[in-house]
Amino acid sequence: MTTLVPQAPLAPHAPQPHPKRHGLSRLARVTIVIGVVALLLVVVSLWMGTVPVSLWDTVRAAVGIDTGTGADFIVGQLRAPRVYTAALVGALLAASGALMQSIARNALASPDLLGISAGAAAGAVLCIYLTRNTSSLALAPWAVGGALITSALVIVLGSRGRLEPFRMIIAGIGINFVATAITTLLLTKVPQELVPQAYAWIVGSTNARTWQHVAMGAASCLVIIPIALFMVRKLRVLEMGDELAAGLGLKPGRLRFVALATAAIAAGLAAALVGPIAFVALVAPAIARRITRSPGITVAASAIMGVILVVGADLAARELLGSLQLPVGLYTSLIGGPYLIYLIVRSKGSFQ
Amino acid sequence: MTDTPRLAAAEVTLAYGDARVVHSVSLDIPPSAITAIVGPNGCGKSTLLRGLARLHAPASGTVLLDGHNIHERSTRDVARELGILPQSPVAPGGITVRDLVGRGRTPHLKALRPWSAADAAAVTEALSVTNLTGLADRPVDSLSGGQRQRAWIALALAQQTELLLLDEPTTFLDIAHQYDVLDLLHGLAASGRTIVVVLHDLAQAARYADHLILMSAGLILARGEPSEVLTADRVAAAFGLPVTVVPDPVTGTPLIVPTGAPAGRSATPAREQAGIKEIAP
Repeated sequence: MTTLVPQAPLAPHAPQPHPKRHGLSRLARVTIVIGVVALLLVVVSLWMGTVPVSLWDTVRAAVGIDTGTGADFIVGQLRAPRVYTAALVGALLAASGALMQSIARNALASPDLLGISAGAAAGAVLCIYLTRNTSSLALAPWAVGGALITSALVIVLGSRGRLEPFRMIIAGIGINFVATAITTLLLTKVPQELVPQAYAWIVGSTNARTWQHVAMGAASCLVIIPIALFMVRKLRVLEMGDELAAGLGLKPGRLRFVALATAAIAAGLAAALVGPIAFVALVAPAIARRITRSPGITVAASAIMGVILVVGADLAARELLGSLQLPVGLYTSLIGGPYLIYLIVRSKGSFQ
Repeated sequence: MTDTPRLAAAEVTLAYGDARVVHSVSLDIPPSAITAIVGPNGCGKSTLLRGLARLHAPASGTVLLDGHNIHERSTRDVARELGILPQSPVAPGGITVRDLVGRGRTPHLKALRPWSAADAAAVTEALSVTNLTGLADRPVDSLSGGQRQRAWIALALAQQTELLLLDEPTTFLDIAHQYDVLDLLHGLAASGRTIVVVLHDLAQAARYADHLILMSAGLILARGEPSEVLTADRVAAAFGLPVTVVPDPVTGTPLIVPTGAPAGRSATPAREQAGIKEIAP
């Protein structure tokens, strides 16, 4: 397949364990391993911080058990909402990216590069400008609306009769600039006292998240992830070409529409929770595909990889530079930017 | 043919936008036999095949599957009766032969009953028929062109449909692998499957087809037994190339030989001996 996904070189005679004969497939085994890694990372992230808390108290406070110590506040009210929100956002972004890369048959497709995250940001800043409300719940419908409008534009501009992946990416890059310009313009109109909040939100910040954010993130994941998982088998067939998929009884147009709408809503919800965190949607599915060597979209492994990336970036944001807490989006960009360059260098000029 | 055809077209017109490619074509596909569609580039043969496979909705007319409009049935139901192998499907990077073939089970799978012994058995059988059992766990990327084409045919076989449509399955294969694929199709027809195949090579079509459809400019020029369809006049008219038809020395089926030899290479006495007459298009 001529996507930008770098394939791990496969020895021609490498034994290929098959699920039916040798226990679990590589995909299942790798998914379980990274799932454990993600869980450990979440616990470490809850445990680490300027105020020392015992590991046992951390775990109990994180699941809501009253410890009668400072952990109840430090972990239960400060760290847990932030870490859980980061994890849920990571899963949402990665699922969104996995769906888009499958539809576009291209590793460059992701809500941030296609301008859909920027559309969500523009919608959210419009909400701040018009309603002066910065709560995630208030931002959510605006961010989702912005994401849906931009993804509709990407689809309309990216198709000539049928969807053309490369055209779609070019259209997305253009829309990205326009949406970013609108956001910047609106920022200059936002009342002075709201600018720091609006700005922190635009860079992508997990600071000061509450259990309200966790509830919203969990509800979003409970809807988005099962829909995405449900589509995986059909999307893997669609990746083999519209004609083949239609011959096998699928409806390519409808499938693509549902997958893209799901991806756009996921990106919009993630943006409403923490702002537009760059590169996670691009990088998480690509890494998941690389390490699982899955021929085609993997939603579960991608979502877990998204959790690892955002929780890891959040931990770095909190701990690396001491008192200077930089927004999490900065760290994901620091990882994602070089990875994007690596993808382009590896692709040897084939972009489609 | 005494059996009723399962697949037929009644005055089917196929168009891309306003451009009509197939003009009011009627035909029926004989069961348990190979039907080959031949004709010059751009004559609409691939479009007709896609129309028969319900991948291209007719501008007018009806494609009939078991006597009913194919577009009025659920596409998933149709996919359990009719398989289509398009010209250039994309093999996902790193996929194994077994995984690729398994995707042919798509119309038989349900969300809550993902994979069963029947599915595994269908894949095993498709691999065995296409002689790929030993390569089942190899990545498709590592196969030769001929093996890869057999893997795609195996995918269509795993679909377990009685009707199997293939769009130029021999393209890009060397001559040995072309005959490999044709022999495979012949075996499938002999075991009761109904095959419709678009082919480029007229001699191959004549050798392997039980029923031949010769198209030109979106119309069917002739259809029937290959020896009746492939006359020098018709082939010359369809392709715009002066030809003569001689019996295939091995099978006795029509063999098309162009009469315009390069300058200085025309073996005139041999031509007269063979009774070759010039036929203008």
